[in-house]
Amino acid sequence: MRKLWKRTTAIVMASTMALSLAACSGESAANSQAGGDTATAEASSAGEDITLRITWWGGQSRHEYTQQILDKYTELHPNIHFEATPSGWDGYFEKLATDTATGAMPDIVQMDYLYVSTYAANNSLADLTPYMEDGTMDASTIDADILASGNIDGKQIAMPLSTSLLTVAYSPTCLEAAGVEEPTSDWTWEDFAAMCSEVHEKTGYLGTSSGPVDDTNNFNYWVRQHGEQLFSDDNKSLGFEDDQITVDFFNLWKGMMDDGAAADPDEYEQLLALGIEAGPMATDECGYYINWNNYTTLMANVNDNLKMVTPPQLEGGENGLWMKPGMFFSVAETSQYKEECAAFIDWFINSEEANAIMMGERGTPVSSTAREYLINSGKLTEQQQQMFEYVDQAAPLCGDTPAPDPVGIAEVNQAFKDAAYSVFYNQVSAEDAAASFRQQANSILAANN
Amino acid sequence: MAMRKAKSLQETQHYSAKDNAVGYLLMTPWLIRFILMWAIPAGMSIYYSFTDYNLLSAPNWVGFQNYVTILTTDTNFRQALFVTLGYVFVMVPLRLIFALFVANLLNKKHVGMAMYRVLYYVPSIIGGSIAVSVVWKQIFGNQGVIMSLLERFGIEQEYSLVGNPRTALFVIILMGVWQFGSSMLIFLSGLKQIPDALYESAAMDGATPIQRFWKITIPMLTPTIFFNLIQQIINGFRIFTESKIITDGGPMNSTLTYVLYLYRTAFTNFHMGYSCALAWIMVLIIGLATVLLFKTQKSWVYYEAQ
Repeated sequence: MRKLWKRTTAIVMASTMALSLAACSGESAANSQAGGDTATAEASSAGEDITLRITWWGGQSRHEYTQQILDKYTELHPNIHFEATPSGWDGYFEKLATDTATGAMPDIVQMDYLYVSTYAANNSLADLTPYMEDGTMDASTIDADILASGNIDGKQIAMPLSTSLLTVAYSPTCLEAAGVEEPTSDWTWEDFAAMCSEVHEKTGYLGTSSGPVDDTNNFNYWVRQHGEQLFSDDNKSLGFEDDQITVDFFNLWKGMMDDGAAADPDEYEQLLALGIEAGPMATDECGYYINWNNYTTLMANVNDNLKMVTPPQLEGGENGLWMKPGMFFSVAETSQYKEECAAFIDWFINSEEANAIMMGERGTPVSSTAREYLINSGKLTEQQQQMFEYVDQAAPLCGDTPAPDPVGIAEVNQAFKDAAYSVFYNQVSAEDAAASFRQQANSILAANN
Repeated sequence: MAMRKAKSLQETQHYSAKDNAVGYLLMTPWLIRFILMWAIPAGMSIYYSFTDYNLLSAPNWVGFQNYVTILTTDTNFRQALFVTLGYVFVMVPLRLIFALFVANLLNKKHVGMAMYRVLYYVPSIIGGSIAVSVVWKQIFGNQGVIMSLLERFGIEQEYSLVGNPRTALFVIILMGVWQFGSSMLIFLSGLKQIPDALYESAAMDGATPIQRFWKITIPMLTPTIFFNLIQQIINGFRIFTESKIITDGGPMNSTLTYVLYLYRTAFTNFHMGYSCALAWIMVLIIGLATVLLFKTQKSWVYYEAQ
């Protein structure tokens, strides 16, 4: 009887300890790194259960397969458990900011190019360089330029998961109906505008239905084609002097909207509300859609006819494309289990097991071993094959990789959209809008950097 | 009235320390919530409004810099204030007129009146929700019912009502007016307190229904109107969900309401300190509006007891 009592006490105590350990992860912002490391060392050696909190944004299919990947990892490492908080893109960074403010940032965080500088500037993300040096993570499989995009001030605070390239997806069915030939990589912006108008005139559909000014990526490509860069090296102002570049961009799109060839802001907001899978590209009722090269993979469920081509060239311009890191995994500076997180991220990026489940849904994998594995696996769908081949097609048209977006980019994007819309809505001239964008962007950048 | 007040004052003085302790004990659940969820956060936000707090790292004291920037150079602040004042000035009177109109209709003895009262109150319960905002966006959008109706009547529009910078705010105002239920209920109870004898004698003297409405209903109802006005103005300033979901402040900031701007500043752009300063300016504006209204009270609000 007494023995039984003792045993019960032991079990209760052990489980309480395990529970409290699990509860501790992610909290206690003040924990020094050294303290955190000894704690994990002890935990791992004892095979003690560890719960890593992880969060990401995405759609339903991403939530499902990511959970499968996490389960797989727990199967391989029975002492590592996950507490996942999947979310849509909307609200994701609002929640992350408040979690971070209260010291409750999840251990592993999916991070975007848009915010990586902001979080880096505030020392919220752990430097992963030590784990790359001690072999916990193998970064040799990752292209140096891409890896560097997660390296800010000499600290590797984010590991890229995938790369994206700007692309123009098109519907061969729609183009055929309009009697327009399928575009090739050497097409120009004039060709693009003419083809969009042709599609609209012949079919009544939109030539292009993507939003050119939702963020500054399309504009960045345009600026780079003019041989300039969007932001100055110190990120305190715009990187180009000539407002004519902005004016031409606004006028190009304004012209297409006036022709009915491109979605005007009003039509575009309605399309946004539908979501991309219910948009006109799904039913071949639109010619072109400018997006990233995982677009046709994302759309495969609803339309598996779509193809991709590199974005239009600027007559006499330069190569403007660049490999953009699609998204990152970062580890919270407050995490007690940095090493375990690093090991997981390495497995997530490089392993066959993880990539066999992921199948490139987050974009072209950064890891060369993962890419080789997927290409040779024979399991790729036609769209996934296209996505991989696109990287090779685009390579000759790529310029230097730009520095990560500056702090305050969200505000700059908003100012850009407002300026562009004021032109699209006929409220001010393109010249005035360009000048007002420059003035606002410069004051935002100066205040933030 | 005055006598009753004096009497109750006397009574309080007779409460023993023990009674008071019980009183405080009974209100502790509320008090704890008040302190934790209101007083402390409010105090912190005053402090943050004088800092450059960005959510992610420790705040630094910057004095009045946030307030100065807001009041001198922030064009978005001016736009947001302009939009919000426009919203309040148009929406509140319309909502009250509509609420009073419906309350009058419902203040009759008919079979099934209770059901109508419930039905008209429904928009107020569900009105501010995200789901309804999404529906609203569809109805007034460029593929929506309203646009096809307008087209059928030969009114061709270049943009839809939500997509046009000149009309987008009206869609949001309309949604505000539609949520008239709570004011309506208050008007209804106000109407019930007007003695029937007044109407009867007026009718006997030959007053028309319209005269009765203007000479009896409105004056007797002024305290209720006053209460509704203050409550709805304060509510109006806090407009957020509709402008966030239907238009997200667009097109071109034509529906950028104050709270939406504040939210964006704090959570999209991470300027929490600046956003707290915006919030306190809002508090001052609402406070000022309320004080001004109370000042005008004497000239138009009629209390029976006076």
